[in-house]
Amino acid sequence: MGAITIQELTKSYGETQVLKGIDLAINDGEFLILVGPSGCGKSTLMNCIAGLEDITSGELFIGDDNVTNVNPKDRDIAMVFQSYALYPTMTVERNIRFGLEMRKYPKAEIDSTVKDVAKLLQIEHLLDRKPSQLSGGQRQRVAMGRALARSPRVFLFDEPLSNLDAKLRVEMRTEIKKLHKRLGTTIVYVTHDQVEAMTLADRIAVMKDGVVQQFGTPYEIYNDPANRFVADFMGSPAMNFIECTVKDGNVIIESGGQHHEVKVPSTQALKSSGLDTVVLGLRPEMITEPKPHSDSGYISQMSLNVLVTEPTGPDTLAFGEWNGQEVQARLSPEVGVKAETEGKVEIQVDTGKAVLFDPKTGARI
Amino acid sequence: MSSMNLRLGRTLIYTLLIGFALIYLAPLYVMLVTSLKDIEEIRSGNLIALPENINFSAWVKAWNSACTGSECEGLAPYFWNSVRIVIPAVLISTIIGACNGYVLAQWQFKGSNMLFGALLFGCFIPFQVILLPMAKLLAWLGLANTVVGLVGVHVVYGITFTTLFFRNYYVAIPNELVRAARLDGAGFFAIFWRIFLPMSTPIFVVTVIWQFTQIWNDFLFGVVYSGPGTQPITVALNNLVNTSVGGKEYNVDMAAAIIAALPTLLVYLVAGKYFVRGLTAGAVKG
Ligand SMILES: Nc1ncnc2c1ncn2[C@@H]1O[C@H](COP(=O)(O)OP(=O)(O)OP(=O)(O)O)[C@@H](O)[C@H]1O
Ligand SMILES: [Mg+2]
Repeated sequence: MGAITIQELTKSYGETQVLKGIDLAINDGEFLILVGPSGCGKSTLMNCIAGLEDITSGELFIGDDNVTNVNPKDRDIAMVFQSYALYPTMTVERNIRFGLEMRKYPKAEIDSTVKDVAKLLQIEHLLDRKPSQLSGGQRQRVAMGRALARSPRVFLFDEPLSNLDAKLRVEMRTEIKKLHKRLGTTIVYVTHDQVEAMTLADRIAVMKDGVVQQFGTPYEIYNDPANRFVADFMGSPAMNFIECTVKDGNVIIESGGQHHEVKVPSTQALKSSGLDTVVLGLRPEMITEPKPHSDSGYISQMSLNVLVTEPTGPDTLAFGEWNGQEVQARLSPEVGVKAETEGKVEIQVDTGKAVLFDPKTGARI
Repeated sequence: MSSMNLRLGRTLIYTLLIGFALIYLAPLYVMLVTSLKDIEEIRSGNLIALPENINFSAWVKAWNSACTGSECEGLAPYFWNSVRIVIPAVLISTIIGACNGYVLAQWQFKGSNMLFGALLFGCFIPFQVILLPMAKLLAWLGLANTVVGLVGVHVVYGITFTTLFFRNYYVAIPNELVRAARLDGAGFFAIFWRIFLPMSTPIFVVTVIWQFTQIWNDFLFGVVYSGPGTQPITVALNNLVNTSVGGKEYNVDMAAAIIAALPTLLVYLVAGKYFVRGLTAGAVKG
């Protein structure tokens, strides 16, 4: 049905190659999120899937059909654009009808579909308006309605929420998730928003410079990043990266004037890599005030000289230094206040989920 | 800044504006009053004085009995010639321009920029350069001295401008709109017809006014490519003014000139506000 298989896909504009061999297998009914820095080729990949851009080389399948050279309108795909691309001279109703009329659906069927979609998205009262008379969120709904009306095999969403304010974005996010549950249609969704990516995705593909860096579940991407780029890109506040010397498969951290030899999970790999320095990747939530009952076998205690704190509400980020490099810890607000006044705090470091990277290549060890 | 200064500035601006408006309108005023006087009054009277009694005989004569060369049927037949030339020429060149502009703006193909450059170049080709080759071509096609031939010349010459207008208008329309429509199953013509044309009113008005004015006021093509039965009104006006049977009839000349200019004036009055709007309007907001 709506499974998408992308094989060795490349796309060049003249001399410049924008997509450099993409391989992705997206299951039927899966919610796939594409993330990556601006200009890495996300929109280009979407347009290739939709058929709006010709593929330079490679193959594309939807279900069992090879659609590499199939006209966009015959791919049975609907897309929601970042700018919504509503037809400005048509009313909301005619915007939604347009795709069905072009496909020569019977009138009675079109009427009932429009009604259903309008009801589902709660835009019944807007049907007679022109797009220019709608708010941003309403336009977004109409754009979704237009895509939904055709019940395609695949939905493509290119940053559909990026023009909305923060609150509306959260609302629409939930609605999209519900909608996906209900329809079970395959969705490919581009976003810049970390939270959107983590909350919506069944699987995430992280891209950089036209190459997929990692393709996996949100859990894998977050906890088991394939390389330093992925680790850095996903997660907010960002992961700490500290260059450390290696000793007997452990790493040395200097904090608050004292040296600590810290145990890490990938001791064997570290030993066999033969590196004498390594980049330790540790998320801020793994550096906290000492907590009772935490016992992963990778807990170390140390003190941290706090340079500055940033309260975020539920917790406070404290900035200090390890090995002369900036490190962020995530403290409870109470401890945060104390740390700010005393300039020093006792912390516990849980390296159970620490990841190690080659300092030169950024590859995971 | 005091309100006194502001008032002074205002007054100055308005005085200047009114002054220039008067200078611009003076010739029209003179034409109008002269056309309503009889010839005696013109000879004896003051150029800018109002007519003693309003007299439409010059208008009637200009319309249906003044001599334009050897014929003495007034401007009426030529007026209709012009209408027969202008209407198809404006419509055809505008429609072709819309299609061209749509393709050039939204469907990039190999060499489309080259083609657009070549079209732009067409805007700068002076009339005189194409006079002789075009005459040869028309003769070869058997269209010399015909309305069809003249329409053809105006269409060809006008396409560069109409294409430019439409292309620049359509270029501002986001490409995503076309993409959305393609995914919706609309083809090349359906997108043009259902999406682009409905938002083209301002640029249509601009183009039609421009083309209408250009073609209605054209003299050179008219005088070169028309024959005895197909001369447009501008040519006839020239002949009328240059034919003097007895003394010069200024009142008839003036009335004829106003008749010849009336349609363009009318077009501006009816559609002028869209003209300004169309020139300043960018793309349609989503
Ligand atoms: N028509 C084109 N001609 C040449 N280069 C292009 C064209 N379209 C896109 N590119 C280039 O391809 C690269 C990828 O563009 P793309 O729009 O896919 O990025 P993106 O990942 O969607 O970025 P963003 O997050 O900013 O939307 C960019 O470097 C861009 O400059
Ligand atoms: Mg993009």
